[in-house]
Amino acid sequence: MKALVIVGHGSHLNADSSLPVYEHAERIRASGEYDEVAECFWKEEPSMRHVLDTVEAGEVYVVPAFISEGYFTQQVIPRELGLEGEVTHRPDGKTVYYAGPLGTFELMADVILERAADLTAGHDLSGGRRALVLLGHGTDRNQNSSGVIYLNAGRIRERGVYDLVEVGFLDQEPEIVDVVENIPAGHVVVIPVFVAEGWHTKETIPEDLELTGEVTRRPDKTIYYGAPVGTHPAMADLIAARARELALVRG
Amino acid sequence: MSGADRPVAAAAREAFAEWVAASREGRRFGQLLVRRAEDGYELRHLADAGREDLRPLAGPAAAREIARTTEGGEHRPLKTSPNLRRGWTLRVEDERELAAALNYLYPAALVHWHLERAGRLPVTHYRETAGRQSGIYEIVRNLSDEGVQAAARAHCEDEVCLKRPLWGVDAGTPLKMEPGEGEIPCPEPCSLFISFARQITLFEREGRDASGLTASERRDLAALVEAAAAGELPPAREGEFSLPGNRRRLRYRALTLVPRLREPLAD
Ligand code: SF4
Repeated sequence: MKALVIVGHGSHLNADSSLPVYEHAERIRASGEYDEVAECFWKEEPSMRHVLDTVEAGEVYVVPAFISEGYFTQQVIPRELGLEGEVTHRPDGKTVYYAGPLGTFELMADVILERAADLTAGHDLSGGRRALVLLGHGTDRNQNSSGVIYLNAGRIRERGVYDLVEVGFLDQEPEIVDVVENIPAGHVVVIPVFVAEGWHTKETIPEDLELTGEVTRRPDKTIYYGAPVGTHPAMADLIAARARELALVRG
Repeated sequence: MSGADRPVAAAAREAFAEWVAASREGRRFGQLLVRRAEDGYELRHLADAGREDLRPLAGPAAAREIARTTEGGEHRPLKTSPNLRRGWTLRVEDERELAAALNYLYPAALVHWHLERAGRLPVTHYRETAGRQSGIYEIVRNLSDEGVQAAARAHCEDEVCLKRPLWGVDAGTPLKMEPGEGEIPCPEPCSLFISFARQITLFEREGRDASGLTASERRDLAALVEAAAAGELPPAREGEFSLPGNRRRLRYRALTLVPRLREPLAD
């Protein structure tokens, strides 16, 4: 028997954080690919400390619902789950395979493009150049956090779907407000590359960008802004693909 | 199966199903009443035991939705808080669905219940859990023994959590609190408790003024008097320990501040 365990951050304050993890788990469960699909969280229950005891399967694939490599994927998750690396043999007979974060995986670019397509569906994007802006948190401490945004921007640029593909951040240069302001395009699609809705995606970003809703028309440009990429249903496919790739290390 | 032992989750699910089947009126588990039904099992809120007018739901996914928010729509970061919503009955088809539903309503509780009954539940005490923390939670290792004791009383008693803590400050220092009579054991301080412990650690760092109060105690008292005068407690979410109106913060103040306020002043 094999099980998939999705690890989310979770929150002590908001239900938005864990919701996409539950939803992706439900989608993968429905696919029947795994005998069991379990969710666990850093700040909600079940905790990473206990989730493996709730799983019956002997073969367990752990996929973190995190965009970039960093403190959580490298330190907190392995420590709390008691992992020794990519493969861990537990005393109870379970073998646990641990995947890297989602953002660097090839399929991520597809999920972002799907999210963008859903957001602009039904709108006329002709007339003016079309730009896609990937919005990341960014931080001085963690290079990987911005690296993953640049990586995906590069991959999407290569596909030639948008005239322009740029990146913008909340906490580092280039700042999202400046990027959106100065981009020479009539249609600007802003996709938050976050795993879940939160205070930033719901409050601070719309406020800083002076948005009036999903579609904001300004004299010089129309801005499209919606839910973060992590809430898109296609994210479940990405999680499943990540686990499938991990299964190859079993040899 | 590649395991040496039979998976503990499977043993737990079977033991639980047997335990439920052995009782005609059903079993209490946290705030749940769990009963054997014609085909499968039925769950409902204990307080809805005799009611007929309940919304019929089915399957583990419905259990997840019940568990996520309170009656008032608030997020439930701690599923054993005694604020499970009422007004529903949940049908599950078999033992596996029952286990899945329970894992949403009370995550990991089933396996802990089983392991405790079998005398095999490993316990992790506060000092070990605290010693493992990093980042903003690293400071919780500095919390004093008395701080841990007061935090546990404020955070873990039945009024605010139905689990029975088995853990102590360390292996030789049990908690001095009323653990409660609930079915669900708590083998290790939870993440919400660690967050609370961080708040209490910050309180312990504060100095006291001439009247023996800390700055945060003064601020809380002022905010609470004002709120009471206005007729309502300042709102704070369950995990929002930085706000004076937070229930567990208030419980901590009741334990550690009120006795000092009531003490007659020395001349
Ligand atoms: S640590 Fe306390 S609040 Fe958390 S689950 Fe255990 S008993 Fe409940």
